[in-house]
Amino acid sequence: MDLSLSEEQQLLKQGVEDFIAREAPLEAVIELADSELGYSPEHYARVAELGWLGAAIPEQYGGAGLGLTDAAVLFEAFGYAALPGPFISSGVVSALIVEEAGSEEQRAELLPRIAIGQAIAVLALTEPGYGWGPEGVHMRAASRNGDYVLDGVKLFVHDAIGATHLITPVRTGDDGALSLLVVDASAPGVSVRRLAGFTGSECVVRFENVRVPASAALGEGGAVDEALDRALTKAAPVLSAYQVGGGQAAFEMAVDYSRERRQFGQPIGRFQHVQNHIIQLVNHVDASRWTTYEALWRHDSGKPGFEVASHLAKAVTSEGFVHAVNYSHEVHAGVGVMHEYGLTLFTTLSRSLYHQLGSPRYHRRRLADLLVDHDLGPDPLD
Amino acid sequence: MDFEPAYTPEQRAFRAEVRAWLEDHVPHVEGDQDSDENYAKYRQLGRDLGARGWLRPTAPLEYGGGGLSVDHAIVLAEEMDRHDLTSPPYYDSGGSLGGASILVWGSEEQKRRLLPPIFRGETVTWQLLTGPEAGSDLASTQTDAVRDGDEYVINGTKVFIGGSHGADSFWTICRTDREGARHQNVSWFMIPSDLPGITVERMYLLSDGREGIGRGYKNTIYFDNVRVPAENLVGGENNGWRVASTHLELEHGSGGRIARNVWFERTRDRLRSLPANGAHPLEDAETRGLLADLFMETEVQRLFELRNFWMNRTHQDMSYEGPQASYYRKMSGLRASQIMLELLGPYAQLNDAEFDPTGGRFDSYLRNAIVSLHPGGTADIQKVIMARRIGIGRGESERERAGRTVE
Repeated sequence: MDLSLSEEQQLLKQGVEDFIAREAPLEAVIELADSELGYSPEHYARVAELGWLGAAIPEQYGGAGLGLTDAAVLFEAFGYAALPGPFISSGVVSALIVEEAGSEEQRAELLPRIAIGQAIAVLALTEPGYGWGPEGVHMRAASRNGDYVLDGVKLFVHDAIGATHLITPVRTGDDGALSLLVVDASAPGVSVRRLAGFTGSECVVRFENVRVPASAALGEGGAVDEALDRALTKAAPVLSAYQVGGGQAAFEMAVDYSRERRQFGQPIGRFQHVQNHIIQLVNHVDASRWTTYEALWRHDSGKPGFEVASHLAKAVTSEGFVHAVNYSHEVHAGVGVMHEYGLTLFTTLSRSLYHQLGSPRYHRRRLADLLVDHDLGPDPLD
Repeated sequence: MDFEPAYTPEQRAFRAEVRAWLEDHVPHVEGDQDSDENYAKYRQLGRDLGARGWLRPTAPLEYGGGGLSVDHAIVLAEEMDRHDLTSPPYYDSGGSLGGASILVWGSEEQKRRLLPPIFRGETVTWQLLTGPEAGSDLASTQTDAVRDGDEYVINGTKVFIGGSHGADSFWTICRTDREGARHQNVSWFMIPSDLPGITVERMYLLSDGREGIGRGYKNTIYFDNVRVPAENLVGGENNGWRVASTHLELEHGSGGRIARNVWFERTRDRLRSLPANGAHPLEDAETRGLLADLFMETEVQRLFELRNFWMNRTHQDMSYEGPQASYYRKMSGLRASQIMLELLGPYAQLNDAEFDPTGGRFDSYLRNAIVSLHPGGTADIQKVIMARRIGIGRGESERERAGRTVE
């Protein structure tokens, strides 16, 4: 048993922290939030160059071939800095989908480009009738002369702005089987717009008479439902780690503020109500951290119960991040809601990521389906 | 990262040995687990474990412990857990926390004299902390110990003590200087329970199911001119608050624990066994959601305890983690009990042989969820300690450090 980071993981973490301090300090990230793209392509290129984007992509496809835990350590440090960009969407979610569902040829074609940042692939799964399971996919792609033709709307698509490829689950054929079409985002008829609101990178993606070749479908004709589900179940705890990082930042900001801010002649952290906010906050962050890393460990070491642990982690962490930020706001009062202070970056992320890859409600349902018959007592000797 | 202990072939062999031994020695009990008859069986198990060094596996060999590695202790804890037992398999708070405190603060002579009976399971020791005047504010104890020749004369009262079957020794904190400054006027004593002037009187609490699991009462202990040999003062006169930091650190949960998530499984299995009214409850979406909630509560708690177990055994720098696990256990126990109330309906409240085949297991959980909010420091006290350790409203230099739990 060893719950500490390995030496390599500590170096990785340190590397990201150095990178953030140098190239993406909080003030810079605050400015990015108002930019059209919402993130910095220079950051994205640098992260690819450093080999971090392909951290979880196997070496044979141009990645670093690290475990999901390593990738999570890296992206936790991104979350701590609220660094925006399609890092996880492309480098983890889409890469895992291609790895799980794609043919050998498709993997060899797409994954190396994702790893070096040349292709930015994002998953355009959800639709106006919002839902993360395959049952949420209604959009159809018609077959015409060997091509697919797409018409419809994908809504709340994270990181679609600036993406080069849209992995688009659609219904095809007479039986309405699920297909995953890799659509060139610059193809005629594709339009992407960032949604306005208390949102992060969520976009609406419209497909109007978009023709894609049959070869754009991931896989070799078999069912892709399970491959997609496997990929999303793997990606979820990596996204959770980013949320953990954000929660940790909200915690540290609150502790610092509790020491600096004085009212009634003393630091506000001397008041037990303020202390209580921070204690609830850290409990949420730690609950998120340990459920997340246990899930990642189960995955990387091939232990049973990974699916259960993944759904648990995403449910606990999505709720935990929102609570963490809320408590941090209680501590900060007015200062915390000032745009220039930076806490609101995490606030917005906590709401946005609450839904990405499924909300707590979704994961609780998945969890319950597994738990009804789940055996929790693996015998260490067996 | 590795959330599981890694076992060497030698440890696997040890596990097989432990498992086989426990199969032979864990008593078969029927009816009330806490009856005098069954308690005697668990005491015997404690003595048998102690004779092999398995009761306190990591305690030093020269003081009657097992002298075994942390990994051996994990194996033993896991194998005991398979039988739903902890080690020791009965209430021995003064042995667990007092023993650890004496290891840190006792003189060599005291370690050789006081520890072997504890570590070998020959005696049962209760901790006596709470007084009528000193609950959360332990340092305000008004139990006095006054030096008289080679003895201290003790007068005072301690409440909410121990369990139902008596103890051989009491491990307690007394005021040794009435005029002394706070925190510099207290000392710890190991007191044989049969000294003249000690009176033990029962206290009945909400957790006293009269029958079934979780039966048991607490006690009030009166000291009336009790003469204790001065050699039983541990850690130096008026140095008791530093000794307390060790004791309380462990009591506040920094020792951690490795255990299976038994309450989720028990609740699910009980739910499955309930008579259905139309569709079975497990088919109902809301019920399934509550089951997921229960899993979330109990898994987070399990992971906090696991993290602390690892931190404590590998001597990591601990900060707020002990009281965090303690606070979380208390509050999440209360939340879990409410989920059980909802999931199992009024069956959760039963300790009724006709309609409850569990022997009052959930009745006991529901009661103890409330009773256990307070011992070992109230939930609020855990938060106070967390705040000091995190350094909320305090500069880094004023941040409180965790108590020392190893020599």
